[in-house]
Amino acid sequence: MKASSFKWLFGKNSEFWPTNMKTGMWAWVGHRLTGIILVVYVFMHLSFLSTASVGDKNFEDLMATTAQPAFVFADFLLVCAVIYHAMNGFRVILFDLGIGIRKQKLVFWVMMAIAAAIVAVAFYVLFDEGLFKGEWF
Amino acid sequence: MAEERIATTKTAGSWAWFFQRLSAVLLVVLLTVHIYLDHYAEVGADITVGWVHERLGQILYIAVDYAMLAMVIFHGLNGSRTILFDFDMFLRRRKLVDIGLWILGIATMIWGIFVLIPFIDG
Repeated sequence: MKASSFKWLFGKNSEFWPTNMKTGMWAWVGHRLTGIILVVYVFMHLSFLSTASVGDKNFEDLMATTAQPAFVFADFLLVCAVIYHAMNGFRVILFDLGIGIRKQKLVFWVMMAIAAAIVAVAFYVLFDEGLFKGEWF
Repeated sequence: MAEERIATTKTAGSWAWFFQRLSAVLLVVLLTVHIYLDHYAEVGADITVGWVHERLGQILYIAVDYAMLAMVIFHGLNGSRTILFDFDMFLRRRKLVDIGLWILGIATMIWGIFVLIPFIDG
């Protein structure tokens, strides 16, 4: 495949070039990126659990690994992806119902404010419990 | 790209559109319960096989887990289908993509059902 066949994705004339993207486009790109991440994660989730389900030792090993601060942080980022995808998804459904289309930018930022509030609470709970303390790597 | 994306809304199908929204709303409810109960309600506590087994003794937990699995597989693969259909090479092979995704989805569901069984049996 030639590099020129990716012109729609890269380059200053691409609709995905940052300065060419407006609010709705960012929301759309974010929705797809988080969507892809979450689909990949679901398969990883099943894969790890299928190993952990056979034998108590495997389960304990998985729990010990995922209790490390770096893993807790990765888990937190995953929660961020879920919350973004859910809140932007609500926005999409609102527009499907014909609600707020004329104020689409405001609707986006209201949704993001709610998302930020949930993310902040999620982070605080983990931080407060000391789950980010200890050896990171 | 732009032309194909407009075409997608017509070719992806209205049932796919409707069930994507329905599963989305259900997933928001189910995932909130799942993430809260499994990761936040007793944050920092040691999670053991016994604890998981004990909880899965309640039929409600099993039902919620399997419902979530079915919803997440549908929503994830149907979303992937929408993304694939934004590309001409996949849009031209609609039937093949659909059959492939159905096989992947059903296989994943069967796999997921079996993953939970050892936890239920303890």
